[in-house]
Amino acid sequence: MKEKPVKGERRVFMTGNEVCAWAALAADADIMFGYPITPQTDIMQYWTRLAPKYGKKFLQTEDEISAGFTTLGAVIAGKRAFSATTGPGNVLFQEPMSMAEMMRIPVVLIIPMRGGPSTATVIYSQQEVTMTAFGGNGEGFRVVYSTAGHQDLYDYTIKAFNTAWKYRFPTFVLSDGYQGKMRESLTIYDPAERGIEMVKAEPMLGLPGIPGVDRPTRHLRNTYNTEEELYEVVMQIARDFEKAAPEIVEWQDFDTDSEMDVLILAHGVVSRAAQGALPLLKNEGIKAGHFRPITLRPMPEEQMRAAAARANRVVVVESAYGQFLKLVKETLYGMDKPIDAILRPGVGITAEEIVAEIKERR
Amino acid sequence: MAVRIVLAGEGGQGVQVIANILAEAAYAEGKEAVYIPNFGVEQRGGVSIAFVQIDDKRIDSPKFPKADIVVALSNRAVDRTRQYVDERTTFVYDDSLVAAAEIHEDVIGIQAVEADPRSQRQTEAVDDSKQRKTVRLPESAGTIIPLSANDIAKKELHPRVFNVMILGAVLKATGVVSVEQVKAALEARLGGKFAKNPELRDLNYRALERGMGLVEHVGVN
Repeated sequence: MKEKPVKGERRVFMTGNEVCAWAALAADADIMFGYPITPQTDIMQYWTRLAPKYGKKFLQTEDEISAGFTTLGAVIAGKRAFSATTGPGNVLFQEPMSMAEMMRIPVVLIIPMRGGPSTATVIYSQQEVTMTAFGGNGEGFRVVYSTAGHQDLYDYTIKAFNTAWKYRFPTFVLSDGYQGKMRESLTIYDPAERGIEMVKAEPMLGLPGIPGVDRPTRHLRNTYNTEEELYEVVMQIARDFEKAAPEIVEWQDFDTDSEMDVLILAHGVVSRAAQGALPLLKNEGIKAGHFRPITLRPMPEEQMRAAAARANRVVVVESAYGQFLKLVKETLYGMDKPIDAILRPGVGITAEEIVAEIKERR
Repeated sequence: MAVRIVLAGEGGQGVQVIANILAEAAYAEGKEAVYIPNFGVEQRGGVSIAFVQIDDKRIDSPKFPKADIVVALSNRAVDRTRQYVDERTTFVYDDSLVAAAEIHEDVIGIQAVEADPRSQRQTEAVDDSKQRKTVRLPESAGTIIPLSANDIAKKELHPRVFNVMILGAVLKATGVVSVEQVKAALEARLGGKFAKNPELRDLNYRALERGMGLVEHVGVN
């Protein structure tokens, strides 16, 4: 019996990137593949420091395309493998992630978002929402958790492994440079002690027995000869994704039970500013609520629409120039509801700034 | 309400270390703390900024518009941190490192460096690399506290404990965590070095206390 990296429950004070490494260990991940890029590199560094103690492995590849494909290779071989990247690295990851969508290869990718477009900043943004949810030449058959702090990073990194392996869609944990680099407190725990059972990682190829005799043949394909053949496959993935969506969606709401002047929509770390803005707005005599989708893909549509229905207007707040706003518009389509937005691409947002903007636009 | 602290200096002055120690001490005391470094693409050089928030409840966004206390340890750090200062802010700077302009450059239309009497006392040829430019301190600050921590550290203690003196000053000015807890955090971080050389512990404690002694009033505005 291997020694467990996390035993019982423990209150700790660490950076978000370190949290991700601990969470992957707690989730019993076998191996990480990666290529360094700020602000993700610390995840690799913490993993390489911790992993050997628990019989886990690491491989630094020549670039992110390779990191993506080697991760998929390990998964096909039956390993619970994962990677982490950001920014331009996330761009390169799109090809392997597309293949994972097509071949239904479960994979976990952690993304502490940095500024964009291109090299931009190594600091912070929420500008990788579109790419993470819909990147690659596919249909966005992916699960994206957007975290708002270190407890989330721990909880959802562990959960991402189970979501990926249960539903067999690439699963992403969206963090950001702030969360990656900042230190705050959280509780780490052994998932088993909280009744969380890790879905088993099993080989997808090279199974025992003669194919077609002892067991059905297994043919993993990402290439098809005819339009009709491809259509059938993609439509099956779409049906599976839509069926799984209600089981996967997660959200949080704050003060949304009664009628509101304004509903603030925000995800990730910006949700913390929105939460901080609520009491300040109340002091100003503005009835405000906040809805935070935890899954950006699939989106908790029903729940967001229900919250928006109780508000006179909605305000979208994000550290990007309308990436989350697009998802909101799609979700609220057909509702007669004014949508306003506070867009700060690549820049952090504070509670005070949200309050000032909402007061000004009243 | 969270106590919000900005610490800024040149790379190597140790602002990230003292920000970490402050946050660790607060966490150990059972408070909520968020520490975040501001980092750029530079590998070295550039202004290093640390943001610390300490509160009894969970802290919302990791950055904030205005700080309760801003500590700036170089001319460039003064410029970079100006945006976090308002009338509620206690602004601390090291006057042995930062030369404040005595006359507002915009008013009389000459360069601050010329307006600074110290520049006129210059007898040797001006060496650009050594030339100390002056900066305008943030006039809006509620309180401005000059410290000579760098000079004192050099003369009385050791240049390397300069940052611990600054930590002492911040501790006294904010009253946000106890001295004992900060000492425990220093121990946790430097315990190995202290064990090898007990004099280092004494030196750090003296620096902490000397720094505290530089600030008169306890508590931020």
